[in-house]
Amino acid sequence: MARGFKRRDGRFVAKLDAVERGLVVGLMEQVLELVEPEPTAGNELDDDATDGDEFDRIVAGLGGIGMGVSLSAADQAPELSGSVPQPRDPALERIFPTANRQDDQVAAEFRRLTEDGLRARKAANLTTAITALSALEDQKISLEQPQALALLIALTDVRLVLGERLGLKQDDDFDRLEEQVSGLEDDDPAVYALAVYDFLTWLQETLAHALAP
Amino acid sequence: MPRAVPTITSTAVMSIAPVEQESVSTEELADVDVPWITLVWNDPVNLMSYVTFVFQTYFGYSKAKAERLMMDVHVKGRAVVSTGARERMETDTEALQGYGLWATFQKDS
Repeated sequence: MARGFKRRDGRFVAKLDAVERGLVVGLMEQVLELVEPEPTAGNELDDDATDGDEFDRIVAGLGGIGMGVSLSAADQAPELSGSVPQPRDPALERIFPTANRQDDQVAAEFRRLTEDGLRARKAANLTTAITALSALEDQKISLEQPQALALLIALTDVRLVLGERLGLKQDDDFDRLEEQVSGLEDDDPAVYALAVYDFLTWLQETLAHALAP
Repeated sequence: MPRAVPTITSTAVMSIAPVEQESVSTEELADVDVPWITLVWNDPVNLMSYVTFVFQTYFGYSKAKAERLMMDVHVKGRAVVSTGARERMETDTEALQGYGLWATFQKDS
């Protein structure tokens, strides 16, 4: 049973079992691929989507009900794969949003000057968080402040991408989606994806409170 | 990475200009001296606790100020989180986007 983050003697402690840690690490690895300074080609993403990742398999069935929630860009619009050039992944648009809404030129210049640096920083941050959660032998997590901060920001990036895949646009969209899937079986991919998002929200909330100055 | 709150100095300069010159100088000054702002927009993903944490940590704002700005974002849909020279606002926007907040910058008008 998972236990959220608490500050104890200057460290940030929590309990996550192997499945929960694997889930969080797996999602962070997917987001790392998305934000890394050198984006991988579309066919590599296809390979990754079929290499046996449990979350990818479970959410793959979501396309049928109109909500692609696999974090892999290649899964988002299968009709666009092949020779047709793909538009920028909307999740990237959310992570690196247009920074000036009054002047397209200023916005483009900002993106040109900052996106590579932002990508590199986010990638380094995700790597720190992945390393911190991967090295554990048992359920106990005990992080120093820099690792805890890296995980806090990494969880934000994962939830931003997952939220985009779930189609969250308004504050009450999550509740609306939960209502929509309330009649479905527990093992339905949509139910699972929302449960994962909810779990990440809970984990991040405890960490944000533990880290609060 | 806490840092001091940016201050606006241009208003003080403009206020001492002789009245009769104002109509001449205002327009010229506008481009140089109109401050820029950094905005944070509401989104359905970022947690209220996290947004408050970022405002406290990055800007060094007090908990009260950070919470007030966070509530403005949440309730009004956006909030001006810093004001100053364009370069500074670009730096703030980049940093806040690094935290995953929906940050933009623009001329204050």
